[in-house]
Amino acid sequence: MSIIRTIDLTKRFEDLVAVDHLNLNIEDGEIFGLLGPNGAGKTTTVLMLTTVIKPTKGTAIVGEHDIRKSPDDVRKLIGICFQEPKLLWVSTPWDVLNWHAKVCGLSTQERKKRVKQVLEDVSMWDYRKKKVHGLSGGMRKRVEVAKILIQRPKVAFIDEPTAQIDVVGKHKIWNMIRELRDEGSTIILATNELYEADILSDRVGIMHKGKLLVCDTPKTLKDSIPGGDIVEIQLEKEAPKNALEELKKFPEVVDVATVSPKNLRIYLNKVQEVVPQIMKLFLKNNLPIMSINMSEPSLDDVFVHYTGLTIEEAEQKGSSR
Amino acid sequence: MFLQFKFLIILRAIWFAAQIAFFGLIASRMVVPALADIYFEYYVAGVVIMMLYSTSVFIGYDIFEEAEHGVFEYLLSLPVSRRELVLGRSIGGGIRSFIFVGPLIAIALFVIGLENPLNFLIAFLALFLFAFGVSGMSITIAVGLKSSDHFDILMGVLNAFIIRLSTTMYPQTFVQDASQAYAVLTNFNPVTFASDLFRWGVGIEKYLTMTPMPLAAIIGLVIFFFTFTFIGVTIYERRLEGGGWQ
Repeated sequence: MSIIRTIDLTKRFEDLVAVDHLNLNIEDGEIFGLLGPNGAGKTTTVLMLTTVIKPTKGTAIVGEHDIRKSPDDVRKLIGICFQEPKLLWVSTPWDVLNWHAKVCGLSTQERKKRVKQVLEDVSMWDYRKKKVHGLSGGMRKRVEVAKILIQRPKVAFIDEPTAQIDVVGKHKIWNMIRELRDEGSTIILATNELYEADILSDRVGIMHKGKLLVCDTPKTLKDSIPGGDIVEIQLEKEAPKNALEELKKFPEVVDVATVSPKNLRIYLNKVQEVVPQIMKLFLKNNLPIMSINMSEPSLDDVFVHYTGLTIEEAEQKGSSR
Repeated sequence: MFLQFKFLIILRAIWFAAQIAFFGLIASRMVVPALADIYFEYYVAGVVIMMLYSTSVFIGYDIFEEAEHGVFEYLLSLPVSRRELVLGRSIGGGIRSFIFVGPLIAIALFVIGLENPLNFLIAFLALFLFAFGVSGMSITIAVGLKSSDHFDILMGVLNAFIIRLSTTMYPQTFVQDASQAYAVLTNFNPVTFASDLFRWGVGIEKYLTMTPMPLAAIIGLVIFFFTFTFIGVTIYERRLEGGGWQ
């Protein structure tokens, strides 16, 4: 069941179309990765879905509420984790979280309990009385993530959840995001960290220049690249021509390159299903395999496939939009 | 959190003290000797209202700081209605200005004295509406302009009109003598309502603008408060679309 449905959602800032007729369904209880380089339209989409800015055209349904007609009802369902805490009149992690919990309607008792618990969970309890502006970028980010964990909204929007956070901290936050999903929240993850989206998301949507290019599970997207999987095989002896011809007849095999007489590089799809058949073929032809190395495409490759650009190139071009 | 503003509070208090100790005392010598003391008290009460007005305007400057730091996005995403948000900001700005002006009100009471505590209490509560209304007006203008430079200039011009065309510094009879048009504008000025109410509250009733007091002034302040809260909500919803802040 869809918890978010956008209908031709469009946002124009003067001449710039930041989001262009976006049609997207996000299922209840999933982690949905909204991917794209900076300037792709991810943040504008999130800001429209959270009723912070109004669409120029189109609309979206969040839960059962239209973001244009019932923004107050939408806001009761959502929570948003920005890139860093955005409060000026309170200054410590404790105050930031306590204020947020208060505005979200938690009772005094529940608030104290939950703020303490979450500060401990994100390893910020010892820093609860320090000034936020004196904390490192990673610590500030943890305070921001903690807001969502305290609020536990039905739909949580998380913008760049692990920007500036070290490796250990990243894993901790990823686990918390999964726990939040397991507790019943739907998570919308806006990120340009494709690896992060790959390992966290149930489905991803890739945006570029305000448009949704493609939307599916990471595996399906990776499988959609013809010859995206690569198998490198080192043989004991040179492969005869007929074996190579037979290999090329596999429907999943896109291309076979002979790196050296005994080394083959095979471009194919569905690597895990096909490799046993390839091994069988070489053994049938009396060609012992010395080593085999498999690599799957990443979401970076998916992005390159659909845009013709790496995410870095897209960011450079996006900044001149 | 108000301790963050202690420097500002101290400077305002010094400004207030200088204003009444120098300008108030000297200017009151310019009126006929029999009325010099009365004018001095009249002026002290007026300066309190001027301070309340100028500190309530601060919230507009906060809006620009919030825009610069991206706080708007956070506030607009919270599970509260726009009406509650604007009301919260107006009331917060008003209360803050009362905290700034509170010590000055105490000084004014010390200088003027207090005849009827109940009257003062009524006036004091009505002044909250004035402070909330000015905060709402400041928010409305800040959000409407989206430019800190334009806001700064406009508030300076508005200050010149709204304070000078009020009874903060001179009684209505003198305004009327100067110009009938000025008198009309002064009569519909929330700063006049607030000044008159405060003077009524502390017992300086001789030069009040309106009769009967304090109902007319209270009604004026209620209308002022609701008008700018309503406009504030409308402007907030229409103008805060992200970006465009200068």
